[in-house]
Amino acid sequence: MISPVKIWRHQKKVNQLLGKTGKIVSFTLIRVAPVEFKQQVPYPVVVVRIEDGRGVVGQLVDWEKKNLKLGQKVKTVYRKIREPESEGIIPYGIKFKPC
Amino acid sequence: MQIAVLSGATTKFGELWEQSPRSLAQEVVSQAIEQAGIEKKETQALFVGNMLAGILGGQENIGAFFADELGLEVPAVRIEGACASGGLAVHQAVLSLLTGKYQTVLILGIEKMTDYKPEEVAQALMAAGSDEERKAGLTFPGLYALMAQAHMEKYGTTEEEMAAVAVKNHFHACLNEKAQFKKEITIDDVLKSAKVADPLKLLDCSPISDGATAIILSSKFKVQSSRDKPVFIAASAVATDTLALADREDLISLKATKKAARKAYQMAGLGPEDIDLAEVHDCFTIAEIMAMEDLGFFEKGKAGQAILKGETKIGGKGPIINSSGGLKAGGHPVGATGVKQIVEVFNQLSGQAGKRQVKGAKIGLAHNVAGSGALAVVHILSNL
Amino acid sequence: MVGIIGYGAYIPKYRIKLEEIAKVWGKNPQEVISSLGVAEKSVAGIDEDAVTMAVEAGQTALRMGGVSPSKIGSILVGSETHPYAVNPSSTIIGETLACGNNYLACDLEFACKAATTGIWLTTGLIESQKIDYGLVIGSDCAQAKPHDVLEYTAGSAATAFILGNKKNEVMAEILDFATFSSDTPDFWRRDGIRYPAHAGRFTGKPGYFAHVIGAAKKLFQKSGTEPSDFDYCVFHMPNGKFPKRVAKILGFSFSQLESSLIVEKIGNPYSASSLLGLCQVLDQAQPEAKIFFVSYGSGAGADGFIFQTTKNLMKKRRLAKKVAEFIKNKSYLSYAQYLKIRRKI
Repeated sequence: MISPVKIWRHQKKVNQLLGKTGKIVSFTLIRVAPVEFKQQVPYPVVVVRIEDGRGVVGQLVDWEKKNLKLGQKVKTVYRKIREPESEGIIPYGIKFKPC
Repeated sequence: MQIAVLSGATTKFGELWEQSPRSLAQEVVSQAIEQAGIEKKETQALFVGNMLAGILGGQENIGAFFADELGLEVPAVRIEGACASGGLAVHQAVLSLLTGKYQTVLILGIEKMTDYKPEEVAQALMAAGSDEERKAGLTFPGLYALMAQAHMEKYGTTEEEMAAVAVKNHFHACLNEKAQFKKEITIDDVLKSAKVADPLKLLDCSPISDGATAIILSSKFKVQSSRDKPVFIAASAVATDTLALADREDLISLKATKKAARKAYQMAGLGPEDIDLAEVHDCFTIAEIMAMEDLGFFEKGKAGQAILKGETKIGGKGPIINSSGGLKAGGHPVGATGVKQIVEVFNQLSGQAGKRQVKGAKIGLAHNVAGSGALAVVHILSNL
Repeated sequence: MVGIIGYGAYIPKYRIKLEEIAKVWGKNPQEVISSLGVAEKSVAGIDEDAVTMAVEAGQTALRMGGVSPSKIGSILVGSETHPYAVNPSSTIIGETLACGNNYLACDLEFACKAATTGIWLTTGLIESQKIDYGLVIGSDCAQAKPHDVLEYTAGSAATAFILGNKKNEVMAEILDFATFSSDTPDFWRRDGIRYPAHAGRFTGKPGYFAHVIGAAKKLFQKSGTEPSDFDYCVFHMPNGKFPKRVAKILGFSFSQLESSLIVEKIGNPYSASSLLGLCQVLDQAQPEAKIFFVSYGSGAGADGFIFQTTKNLMKKRRLAKKVAEFIKNKSYLSYAQYLKIRRKI
């Protein structure tokens, strides 16, 4: 089970990434996924250079093939990281969406 | 002080269903001891390189576990550095000899991965990455795919050039009875294989393997016969970079490799042009291309073409890269890889590489990487 | 005078056409579409839920309202699909929107009218000067059993409203309110059961119509108004037919209702339904426009409001994406993709 304490500690990290924009610096399309992400396959994962200069990695959501390119502008969105275990805490976090 | 490699032995790498970690260790350590021509009790310490015994097998206390299994009542420690566990174990062993406290030590790199489902293993391997990378649903192929994409974008590296790495390493593996895949493949085979994390395909990726490798290092040695060429450790260097890929300065090279290589060359008083052969960390084909550049063998962006031209294949211009078949075709039992790389270089420099012998090899390099490049270990061996 | 000082809407990107669903179940697509008055519905992504959509809408409302999140004195979230049975959506959203720790948080449930009830409760808190600003959210990731008639209309969306009482901030004043409640088991979902159940045609006259008309009549009476006094009317939209019929029964013209209709393109996003219609009206209305609004929640009840827009609406609403833009930004799914994304397979 995902640790609820870890989720709680990470809240601030998540919150301060909300409402940011950036550009894709690299991308890949995951077709063979870890167990908890299998349902979402295929999904893109991107490395984004955010407006403040930081590099952030995350899934790309609401995407079309044409969005998978270096330089694509993206914004941060709040989503479920993955489906939790049947009794577990839901992990929310930051993903990216094409602008 | 000179540190010599007294012996090196490895099991076959592959799906070794009938072998347990204990039996793998027994096989390889007894061979190493016999080849070194020493008594078991002369080994004064045991260094074990292993990543997944705890995560997958539920077994920690690995130093003691193997000391016990091998009947060695000596100081024993397990060193973990993800896929660089083996190389780090060698490094720590070298350091221990340099202190003068020990004169002869045993290093065991070992991994048992095929007892578990591939997705369990894939998940376990992501322990080498960062929390954000795991939350992003990344896998190891995904991490290296991100680097491949950037490398392709910046230097025009092609999927064919990456495929050529796998083709070459399979060719080498056919000459290595311990290799996991003794089957040649073509560039077309690689390009047609199923995509795992675009642009990397199945045949761009090293496999899941079992295996063990052992070496004995000593600072007091006797040349066994006039025919044997002693092989020495000329350099042992480690460097770290950020854990997370997104925190790196760039995605197209591994700074840790560059730093460790620079330190190693300095320690040995050598340069990349002096290296005759190298075992590099080709967990994915793109990793070998990047290593060729980061280790200083080829200019940035030029490695891909060099591979296509066959420069790093046995018989080629050199340096000869991954004569053992590398991780891709040799197999990649994580903790064992770094130690096996040393054994391959040792065999080459001591003229024992049989069909794979690189003629006149004098100086060899071993390059072992943790995760997506958070840490790198570079060893230089010499028979001069 | 308490009113809306900022609002935000969010509709997920994905849609499924009713004809796609009808074909799988061997129904005549045209019959289904015309009997329900719905052509396609919104589908939340595999990683979206009522909370993630609420955060999107909440961010927009805060931006439009120009209020620092730490000034929010209450957060009420209405939904039929709160991700937890026990663990408040309101605090997950409040924390994520950086509202600090000094807000009253509560999750509400009353089928599709949970959020509108929240609006009236928040109005009370502000009027009695207990708080300065309150955030109300209606958000649903509607679930429906495959092959049930609800499957055609159960949609997903979120709306957020910030209420306040400073004259220079209010963009739509709440002039009056009336409510109508009864125990009418037209549509329900038992604890622990995944999909809602309903009583078929009973959801019509004794359900929706009785309560919407009941609240509407009370509201006319209280405020001394009649349909011709209004520029717009907004009703809960469980399908494309009911709001048109109830508007007619109450004496409104289609042109008064038209601007609020979102159901044909989005389906019924439950707690966000009537409020999404309100957002669409606010996206277009001129200052001093009067809006007659009645929501409906099964079980059953209806909340009626009279809103009047102010000139503050014109400038502030430019800070947000219009509902029409969300409706246009879409990508269609096949039935199999829809099942996968909503985890029915």
